[in-house]
Amino acid sequence: METAALMELELNPGIWLMLFFAPILASFPIAFIWPKRQDSFARKLSILSVLGLFVSFLITVFILFRVEEGRYVYPWLPSIGINFVFVVDYLSKYMGALTGFIAFTIGVYGLEYMKDDYRLGWYWFFFNLFTASMLLVVYSDNLLMLLIGWEGLGIASWGLIGHWFRDDDELSYVGVIDRKMGPLKMFWSPSTGGWRAISTIRVGDMPMFLAVAAIFALTGTLDISRIPWAELFENIGMAGTVILLFAFLMGPFTKSAQLPFSEWLMTAMTGPTTVSALLHSATMVAAGTYLFMRVSWYIKPWEIQLAGVEIIYILVLSLGLISSLYGASVALASRERKVLLAASTMSSLGLMFASSAASFWIGEFAIVVAFWYLITHAFAKATLFLVAGHIIHETHDRFLGGDREVFSKMKLTALVTLFATITLAGIPPLTAYWVKSAMDEVMEKLVHEVNILPFAFLVTISVIYSAFLAKFFALNFWKGRHVHLHLHGGGVMKTAYTAMVSMLLVLLAVIYLGIDHAAEEFIKAGTVEVSFMVGILVLVAYVAGFIKPEHENFIGKILYDRVYVMLLNDYLIPKIGWAIAWIVDIFNRFLDFTAHTFIPALFGGISVSIRAVQSGSLERYAKIVVSFVLAILFIVSIVGWF
Amino acid sequence: MQFAIPAVLILALSGAFSLRFKYVGFAGALVASALMVVNNPLLLMVFVIALLNLASLDLMKGFLRGVDYTLVGLIFVSTSFAFYSQSLAFLLTMFVVASVPTYMLVMASDKEIRMEVGIKYITFMVVATILFMIGAILMVHASATSSMGLYYLAFTMLLLGLAIEVGAGPFHEWVPDVFDSADPIPVSVIASIAKFVPFVVAFKIISSTYMGGDVLILITGIIAVASMFIGNIGALTSSKPSRILAYSTVANMGYIISTLAVALYTEYVYIAFAGAMLLLLTNSLGKIGFFVGIKEDAMPKIETYILSLSFIGIPPLMGFWGKLYVLASLVYANLVWIAFFLVINSAMSVPYYIRLIRIFEDKKDFRKLAGYLVTVTAVLMLITVVPPNWIIESSRILMKYLAIGGV
Repeated sequence: METAALMELELNPGIWLMLFFAPILASFPIAFIWPKRQDSFARKLSILSVLGLFVSFLITVFILFRVEEGRYVYPWLPSIGINFVFVVDYLSKYMGALTGFIAFTIGVYGLEYMKDDYRLGWYWFFFNLFTASMLLVVYSDNLLMLLIGWEGLGIASWGLIGHWFRDDDELSYVGVIDRKMGPLKMFWSPSTGGWRAISTIRVGDMPMFLAVAAIFALTGTLDISRIPWAELFENIGMAGTVILLFAFLMGPFTKSAQLPFSEWLMTAMTGPTTVSALLHSATMVAAGTYLFMRVSWYIKPWEIQLAGVEIIYILVLSLGLISSLYGASVALASRERKVLLAASTMSSLGLMFASSAASFWIGEFAIVVAFWYLITHAFAKATLFLVAGHIIHETHDRFLGGDREVFSKMKLTALVTLFATITLAGIPPLTAYWVKSAMDEVMEKLVHEVNILPFAFLVTISVIYSAFLAKFFALNFWKGRHVHLHLHGGGVMKTAYTAMVSMLLVLLAVIYLGIDHAAEEFIKAGTVEVSFMVGILVLVAYVAGFIKPEHENFIGKILYDRVYVMLLNDYLIPKIGWAIAWIVDIFNRFLDFTAHTFIPALFGGISVSIRAVQSGSLERYAKIVVSFVLAILFIVSIVGWF
Repeated sequence: MQFAIPAVLILALSGAFSLRFKYVGFAGALVASALMVVNNPLLLMVFVIALLNLASLDLMKGFLRGVDYTLVGLIFVSTSFAFYSQSLAFLLTMFVVASVPTYMLVMASDKEIRMEVGIKYITFMVVATILFMIGAILMVHASATSSMGLYYLAFTMLLLGLAIEVGAGPFHEWVPDVFDSADPIPVSVIASIAKFVPFVVAFKIISSTYMGGDVLILITGIIAVASMFIGNIGALTSSKPSRILAYSTVANMGYIISTLAVALYTEYVYIAFAGAMLLLLTNSLGKIGFFVGIKEDAMPKIETYILSLSFIGIPPLMGFWGKLYVLASLVYANLVWIAFFLVINSAMSVPYYIRLIRIFEDKKDFRKLAGYLVTVTAVLMLITVVPPNWIIESSRILMKYLAIGGV
């Protein structure tokens, strides 16, 4: 696992252009025609969009197998040393292929899922823009270029989460309609969801932009693989390092919905399920952790060992684990299909952050583990979302529910769900077990370097995680309340999520056959006693979760309300905003009063008194002038005397 | 200048004959003025203003008919002489010669002699003349004997005399009354051609005798700024055009007095002088135009706009360049605080000049001659569309005549 300095290589720029622009251009026909006509012809143009995604997917596969690892540089602003730089390395080639595959598969699924939608032009344009932006983030070595993709993700997520902007379909809401807790409305519409997403992300993007600007000012380069990180951190000292990295990581923290910026992810469930699936697996939230991995990959914190860097990595480790535990607990208490999955995503992202942060003590292997977990999670989570979308479609119900009738009538769906959940939970000997075992090993090593907490957290989280996955399966297909099924079609959707879940088997094969060099380590970690014990514990939790999926108690109620984190988004920050508006209003009034009332009145008054002197009486004038003259001459005489 | 004596003789004879044939007075004034013209752009502009004043007198009918031409001619002769004279005695004489004809003019009107206005005006002028002359002579004396204390006093007397003479605040009390109650045409003479001599003489005496002393700059600056504020604020709530113009004159005199503070720094005097003269030209043209309008109670529309905008200081009209040069000289001389107040005051003047436009906007019933006169003033405001380097050049040439002989 050597990361020797990457060579600069040549590749036809047309390939990169096609990779990023094929999906966007392919969405133009439907985007432009849809507002004018919504007939069957326009609906067929969706296929063209998916074709664009397919082209991108093919190119990512081409890059994975046929393009050498290295940097591909094309001049942009050569005078200040900024170029289009694409990097193909261990992280980006897999991540690119993952993004390409998932986006394409979900695109296919969307052909059926969205076929009756009223805003297809909007949907496909933003969906494809979303994919292209993510690919740009994945392959960019240059931070400025990466920011373009980063912003593309932001705007596209806003467009897609708020896709059903009319807020007229209760099926697209999050929370129980009309439920209230004190000052908080505990239900959210699609338009609210879109707004919350973009507004939260901007909070993190601003400091991130400044940090990127600072990096450029301090080092003169923006290429992640070329920035002299160690030198930079030494030059700016401990406080400087902490401020710079923290500002930079605000972007990933908000994008990946770590505490306390998690609420937008929960209400992002107001978007179409395809959007949730894409957003939660390969794009958007993954972009945050991916960026942290990619930067850590080249910072090589294990070689730096500066206090400032250590502080940041401890912070990320703690934040990741706490967010993960929070996410898992909220998922355990959730009653909505998609919100449960959203919270579980947050939990997984936390683990990815934590594991990557462990690289400070463990080395590059920790990042590889986090990255493999990202991949495994992406396929499993995409599958679960697609399944959730399908059953919401068939039951017209976004809350958990479904008895054995659902199981028997949607057997394939149920089996796919079962497989995806037990694989993701980390039950031996399935895919996630090996990756999780490696993560166990990483956290166990931290017992000596940090303390036992990270490992304890990880085991707890794994257990809870397994339990709510079991709950998801049980309440949807076995033990839930009775629901009415409206079965019709669904063939394309089934194909899509079956293809998606089969990728978990491909990964399993990669591990077993030792195709990737990391696989060997995973197998080794999986055969350690501790890992096996954790695996058994997880299995027990899954069984327990299946047997008793519901248990009402006080803590559960609080977790069901997501520990009231929405207080921040919906109450405190608006209150602060109103306070600022109030101050600005007072200032405005003051300004208005000064400019329109006070100053005119003042000058009017002075003017009138100046004119009042003109009484017409010469005697009076003479008195005034003579006294002024005498006074001035008197003063000057005294001054002149000295 | 060799024609000064013939010019005065011609004026005397034509003045006498004009009692019988009034246009003899006009012809005499023209010939005398023409004799005194020098080929210098600034002097030519002053000559044009004299011609405008002479022409505008034709709008009056009254007891001074005929002699009034002679009086205006006399003012121009003294003005021209004052620009080139380097003798203290002559300069002070010109100060009186340029001032006294206005005593008579101010009382003239279409029907009767306006004695009350005359008394008011003459009282102020007498006080001003005495202060100015005593101040001037003492300055020369103090400078010769290097007596600083006396110089302070003398300088202040001269400054106060000048302020009262031209109507700067807070010695402006006569201005609104006279501008309002005298006949508009004599007022336009008082407000235009008669204003040059006091400033030219003051410039010459100050720059020839200056002995240093920041206090004097401070006093000059304070009087200048006070005058700007009194003029502009006073005009803000005035509604009669003659009153607005009276306060506008007070404000303009403030701008021009501020250049005297620069006269104490010899290297920038020519810019200050150019700015002062350009502001006086602007003021003269504007006042002639507007007072002719007041006489007729009507003005041509576009011309009204041009005159008002020039007073406000919109480029490329003449008023803009005058203020620009004054500001430049103030900044060069490190008197930024005066420049700051000048800019604020310029902004404050906008509402009342716009009010002037409003007042005359819809009034169209004027005599032909009045219309022509206003048009000429407006056109002259436009000659600075080409940046007025001529005023700087004239000013540089006239600097040679700045030093008073024997001082």
